[in-house]
Amino acid sequence: MKAPASTSRPSLGSLLLKKQQRPFLGIDKQRAIRLFFASNSSVAIIVLVLIMLFLLREGMDFLPTYRHELETYRRAGLEFCDIINRPLAEHQALCSKLRRAASASLNTLTHTARTRRDAAYELMREVEEETRLQRAILSDALAQIPAASPEKLTRLRQEMRAATTLAAARLQTPAALTPEEGRRLQRELTLLNPEVPELPPLLAALSADYIRVDREAHATFKPLVDAVEAFEAAPDALHTLLDAMKKHARETKAHVTELHGSGKEPSHSKPVDFDLSIVPLTSGITELTAKVEEYTLLAQKTADTMPAAAGTPQAVALLAEMRARLPDHLAAMRQAAASLPAWSHSKPVSYLEVAIAFFLGDAWITNSSWQDFFGFVPLLTGSVLIALIAVLIATPFSVIAAIYTNQFASEREQEFIKPVIEFIQAIPSVVLGFIGISLLGDAIKGVSEWGWLQWIPSFPIQERLNMFNAACLLALMAVPTMYSLAEDALNNVPRSYLDASDALGATKLQTVFRVIVPAAKSGIAAAVLLGMGRVIGETMVVLLVAGNRIAIPDFSAGPGVVFQPAHTLTGIIAQELGEVSRGSAHWQALFMVGIVLFLISLLVNWCARAFVRRFELAKS
Amino acid sequence: MAAETSVPASEEPLIQVEKFNYAYGDHQVLFDVDLNMHSKDVLALIGPSGCGKSTLIRSINRINDLVESARVVSGSIKIDGVDLYASNVDVINLRRNVGMVFQKYNPFPRSIFENAVYGLRVAGIKDRHDLEEAAERSLKSAALWDEVKDRLHEMATGLSGGQQQRLCIARAIALQPRILLMDEPCAALDPIATARIEELILQLRGQYTFVIVTHNMEQAKRIADRTAFFYKGKLIEEDDTMTIFNHPNDPLTESYITGRLA
Repeated sequence: MKAPASTSRPSLGSLLLKKQQRPFLGIDKQRAIRLFFASNSSVAIIVLVLIMLFLLREGMDFLPTYRHELETYRRAGLEFCDIINRPLAEHQALCSKLRRAASASLNTLTHTARTRRDAAYELMREVEEETRLQRAILSDALAQIPAASPEKLTRLRQEMRAATTLAAARLQTPAALTPEEGRRLQRELTLLNPEVPELPPLLAALSADYIRVDREAHATFKPLVDAVEAFEAAPDALHTLLDAMKKHARETKAHVTELHGSGKEPSHSKPVDFDLSIVPLTSGITELTAKVEEYTLLAQKTADTMPAAAGTPQAVALLAEMRARLPDHLAAMRQAAASLPAWSHSKPVSYLEVAIAFFLGDAWITNSSWQDFFGFVPLLTGSVLIALIAVLIATPFSVIAAIYTNQFASEREQEFIKPVIEFIQAIPSVVLGFIGISLLGDAIKGVSEWGWLQWIPSFPIQERLNMFNAACLLALMAVPTMYSLAEDALNNVPRSYLDASDALGATKLQTVFRVIVPAAKSGIAAAVLLGMGRVIGETMVVLLVAGNRIAIPDFSAGPGVVFQPAHTLTGIIAQELGEVSRGSAHWQALFMVGIVLFLISLLVNWCARAFVRRFELAKS
Repeated sequence: MAAETSVPASEEPLIQVEKFNYAYGDHQVLFDVDLNMHSKDVLALIGPSGCGKSTLIRSINRINDLVESARVVSGSIKIDGVDLYASNVDVINLRRNVGMVFQKYNPFPRSIFENAVYGLRVAGIKDRHDLEEAAERSLKSAALWDEVKDRLHEMATGLSGGQQQRLCIARAIALQPRILLMDEPCAALDPIATARIEELILQLRGQYTFVIVTHNMEQAKRIADRTAFFYKGKLIEEDDTMTIFNHPNDPLTESYITGRLA
């Protein structure tokens, strides 16, 4: 109905000219809208840069601070003491081996007697537990001042007697005791009463029996028991001297920290004269070396006179291991003593040394009364090992599931499997941690105790909370990511490959494994890497489940290393950052850990992107 | 419809399509197709897009089985007397003996060598020497050997389009099939590459039975012994190529080859 009135139409020339637009904040509207959109997309970049700057600012101060701490550690002579102290730690490890060997040997003789005694005690405890209430009332009445009426006491005694009779009647005779002994104990336990201080006669007899057997066992294994004691006592003299030196060093350090702790450089109190304070240590080098030599001789002598025989094969093995490790330990001690004269308290600590102490340090020790160390390696190994195990577990599951849904599943199966796997992502990680502590930990420990699984290294396991447990849960968390991305990668394989392979007479399986999976392999690799990125940054699960032992896992356990507890980069930050004072070396060390974690994540993501890029090139 | 005048009566047709009806779900695409193809012939299928030519050749090696809703409504395709859609047919062996070359060249993203021997590998041949021999033979047959013999272990996707398509042909003939199906083999190629493929087909004629779908009528004239014209899912006419192009029986055929049929 509109009438294009030629008179109202503007001329063509006027249409070609830019229309005058009302400017918005001084810029024209098109440009304003454009800027608005651009600013939104740049927010993410700005935030990222700010985070990096913040991390760097907090973390980069760490190196000078830590350098200062290490310098004090050296100047005050703590380092000097540690030269001897460090290798001496091995003595403890060897001692514990000996002790275990000795107690295993003794156990072979005393086991029966002790079991019988313990079983009897257990029965008594059961009766005591059952009659707890009556005992308490009777004891109160007896202790009451003024004394309770005799009638009341009689009544209470009767009640007590009735309760013990009832409890004793319910007892089951344990396997360690004969039925006859069980009956006798039952009879004696009915007389159990707070007014009778003595043990029931049978129990007393069993106890005495155990003590006798134990004494006999000690006599039988006298050489071994003596060797243990002698070995334990071997470094006593060395310890005495070293402890005195440590005390002196610690005092010097305390003095330094006090001066620094007061804030500004104090002009009234003199700065610590390290050259003077170190003298008691350096002048003791000869004595210290002599003590070390004495210790090595004593230890060697003990080992030489120690019997090779022991009560059990396990004990024999422990003794042999101890003997095998001893020469290295003693050599290390001698070497440490020999290196003492070369040590100098005034040698400056270079930044390289500080960086090595952080990046290659094998100890993360904080809040120590001796010296804090911020060694990064235990945390890194924990994180990396857990992530690797998790990826190793998650990869086959997710990739195979992706292959199945993408290539074999019917449409209905696909509609079921995909959402279910993606739903795993919705489980809060703290809930997973909860499952790890309460369910998976017990399950793994339980399984590790099964007889026919004992060929697996380090079964049965000691710790419920360990790297394997955490890795299982992290694997579960990584599966959705890896599955979705792997499925996408498979989906992106051109259909023409499928046609070509089929037309050449390949079976479905051949097509999948010779054409489709290879064509998607870089996409699948990217999926695995991104899953790894997800795992390495995860905090809650590892904090709750990994066991949080700050030590480099003992790789000598072979593949069984995965059943050891560990701490992680993420876990340590979450655990300690809330409790350290702002700006302290510890605080800064945690920021350094954060920086490294950030760099690792960045690297993993970058690698994944590189894979994807390759994958996309191959597709075109 | 099918004229059998030029065929010696003694010779049985190699492929017999009888009253073949084919559908994707409810949508029928082939109606009562009757067609005989003889051994060592080159047969061209022509017709406008969507007329069912591709469906027909994709039914001959049963590659359409992969399409979920595809089904045979009635009728049969027989090769050497065996009904391809009978339950006792070994589809894998069928495809080993009926090679196929697709419209868009689709070598696998692997080396030239691996592409050439893929069919043999999936058939279980592992001997390195046998594979190398087969690769050389098939690449020579596909007139590609001289161009790639020094870079057999480079990625196939680095070849030019025409080379990739010839590699696909080599890949198909490495299995020494009886029949080669080609679904518009030159559709994605430039005229020079097209000419080389045509030349190759002419070299190979007599060794294989070719069924070629093409939109290019000049191509059909140049390479085909016989030509079949399809229209809206029906076979309109099948005859000697020269007869079809010079004296078509059906007015539909005539209007198509003269470009008057939209």
